Amino acid sequence: MGLAEGAAIVADGLTKRYGDLTAVDDLSFEVRPGAVTGFLGPNGAGKTTTLRMLLGLARPSAGRGMILGRPFTELDDPAGSVGANLEICGMHPGRSGRNHLRALAAFAGLPPSRVEEVLELVEMSGEANRRAGTYSTGMRQRLGLAATLLGDPRVLVLDEPANGLDPQGIRWLRDFLRGAASEGRTVLVSSHVLSEVQQTVDDVLVIHRGRLLKSGPIAALTGEAGVRVRSPRAAELVAALERDGATFSEDGEALFVKGRSASQVGELAHAAGVPLHELVPETASLEEVFIRLTSDSAEGSQQ
Amino acid sequence: MSRLIRGELIKLRTTRTALGFTAAVALLTLAIVLLTVLSGDPRTIPEKRSALAIGSTISALLLIFGVVGAGSEYRHRTLAPALLVAPGRARLLTARIIAYGLAALAIGLVMTLVTFGIGVPLLAGQPGPDLAAGDYLRAGAGGLAAIVLSTILGVGFGTLVGKQVPAVIGAMVWFFILEPLTNLVDHVSRFTVGQTATSIGGDTGGQVLPLAAAILVLVGWAALFVTAGALVDRRRDIA
Repeated sequence: MGLAEGAAIVADGLTKRYGDLTAVDDLSFEVRPGAVTGFLGPNGAGKTTTLRMLLGLARPSAGRGMILGRPFTELDDPAGSVGANLEICGMHPGRSGRNHLRALAAFAGLPPSRVEEVLELVEMSGEANRRAGTYSTGMRQRLGLAATLLGDPRVLVLDEPANGLDPQGIRWLRDFLRGAASEGRTVLVSSHVLSEVQQTVDDVLVIHRGRLLKSGPIAALTGEAGVRVRSPRAAELVAALERDGATFSEDGEALFVKGRSASQVGELAHAAGVPLHELVPETASLEEVFIRLTSDSAEGSQQ
Repeated sequence: MSRLIRGELIKLRTTRTALGFTAAVALLTLAIVLLTVLSGDPRTIPEKRSALAIGSTISALLLIFGVVGAGSEYRHRTLAPALLVAPGRARLLTARIIAYGLAALAIGLVMTLVTFGIGVPLLAGQPGPDLAAGDYLRAGAGGLAAIVLSTILGVGFGTLVGKQVPAVIGAMVWFFILEPLTNLVDHVSRFTVGQTATSIGGDTGGQVLPLAAAILVLVGWAALFVTAGALVDRRRDIA
């Protein structure tokens, strides 16, 4: 599957009001194929409500959501188009994971053999005959993910998929999502734990109190703040940087160089014959960016 | 549509709810038949009809089966994953109604087997006039019809309320407390869900409508609740 043209998911002025409370406020964004997009915001920011509206589970008070060019409920092959697992997706505690998936496969017109394939994929084949009430949160997450994969969909929408996963599970999920994106699929992942998604996502949508604060490539959001570099011959390094016109500051034994990439600084040092003991590109963590964005927004709303 | 029905049937088969109701129906049927024949000592035709008309009583239990089944979708949040692979709400509800109707038919057959296997030989030993073929047909086919219609009504009621526990309590209050109160008003009770199911099931001893009218009224009740449930379901936000 190659990269598709245009956005796979479009939110156009999505709004959800419950009486006086506006849970989602005129939210517009696009999600492109072939990338993992993080849908980020604190608990209660309106992430799940937005996903519910995109997937036809809740009616927008205004605006509309489109997936692959149409409202989700009007897609010809919903299971083959979109695989979604939201926090509101449950399992009957008395039904086994395997039977839960078999029923969903039947709804989608897929054979029971597909259930075995997706169970294999999420490494749950051995546990799938247990009643769902006995599963851990991590197992439920894996089964939820298995359900999304049944139709081999072009678009994946996952609500807090890392919740309850152990470190191996999180690494597995990261590899899985990267793999899906590299196959040209569209992946939209919501999370409130920013450190989890920072290494996984290409693009981000940051929402707070139902409004979009920021969208775009994660690199543009976190930015390369600079390069930390340390040399036993610091004076020669300083001279080389000055000759190159770089801006830098002293940071303990090291120097913090702004406006240059790690490779540029490395090559500069090499040309000057200066040995380096440390060369680290430093980015602002998503956590920091997020706190800055949301506190700006809070100040804005207080004015 | 057939794949949706197949999915709903898988859901029905893979929890203990349907099995539990089947066991309850078998035991209750056995108890009612033994009690009415052995201690009721039926001698007249209406008494003997009443002894075989188990569907009249069991239909109330199956109505709760439908309410529990529809309510379970909301209680255990199994509606969202289903709608994410099959987003047509009306079609999914139709499939659920058909699946529960089929399940009710199967449970009804267990009831009929127990009733006829034990009730008919016991009644044969009773004095007084014998029942005609039409009476057996009414108890068998009528009983099944009452059960299936009541189950469908229950699914409609459970969908309309949208929360399992309030739906079960609401159904019990409606059908077991409010409906019997209509006996205080002349001729009104004949049109209740309970009394129409009683008539269709073959228990014609009390104040009930004739068969055709009773079928019409019970179908009307079921259609009313199913339609109301579908209309609410169509606009409901899944949470």
